[in-house]
Amino acid sequence: MSNILIVDDSSTMRKIISRSLRQAGLAVDTIYEAADGIEGLNALGAGPIDLILSDINMPNMDGLEFVKQARAQGCKAPIVMITTEGGEDIIGEAINSGANGSIRKPFTPDQLQEKLGGLI
Amino acid sequence: MSLNANVVEFAHLQEVEMARYIIDATKEVFSTMMVMEVEDQYPMSEPVNKFHCSITGMVGLAGSYTGILSIHCPAHLAMKITSNMLGMEVEEVGEDVSDALGEIANMLGGHVKQVLSKGGSDLNLSIPTVISGETYTINSVSNDSVMIPFQFENEKFLVGLTIRKEY
Repeated sequence: MSNILIVDDSSTMRKIISRSLRQAGLAVDTIYEAADGIEGLNALGAGPIDLILSDINMPNMDGLEFVKQARAQGCKAPIVMITTEGGEDIIGEAINSGANGSIRKPFTPDQLQEKLGGLI
Repeated sequence: MSLNANVVEFAHLQEVEMARYIIDATKEVFSTMMVMEVEDQYPMSEPVNKFHCSITGMVGLAGSYTGILSIHCPAHLAMKITSNMLGMEVEEVGEDVSDALGEIANMLGGHVKQVLSKGGSDLNLSIPTVISGETYTINSVSNDSVMIPFQFENEKFLVGLTIRKEY
């Protein structure tokens, strides 16, 4: 069973991602939530995190900066961007910053299973 | 009310093609995230800028283009949409409904950005803004826009894009 951190400024999207993870049949234990990159960094200390799912466009600290700072702090958990951003420049920057992949919104539980099944 | 000529030229898109992208994106978002099959009624006969008992979600685009992607939805339908997104009954227009409409605008804005900017770094999406009220009017200094009516069961909503080329 895996502990997952969801970083997204939309509470609706955090709920959808949580529900979809369970619908996808992924082995989920605890889901932690954060509304921006700053909260996401603080949540890294809440307990062992096995996977991080992060939006890119967020207030206060966006997902790209969150990934950079999380890696700089030594976070080893896989980070997958779940975002409306599909541009290769933005996704490339996320990968170069330490993200392990991306999922485009909107998504289905099957797409989550396909992208995340090998990570947790 | 029509798509800006510079947008047509630089994006190599006629208005009807941009409308088709927005229609396809809207249907995909509603089908995937809300399990709601919506029908488009493009083209729109008359522009609309006055709304009653409605919610408007908007996301700005800035960079190589500037503009706003908006979704305008009657309150009752907005609650239905939010209920389907969250998988729970929503009976008032509050934080959940505002967040849901903002997120839909965000997803649709992402699709439009993808059409206008392949790499993505020359065009930024704003954090969504949501307006709601019994009666309100949205005025734009620009008429460079496409507005698409949609229907779900017996209720209608609008998705609009106002956009111009900057550089």
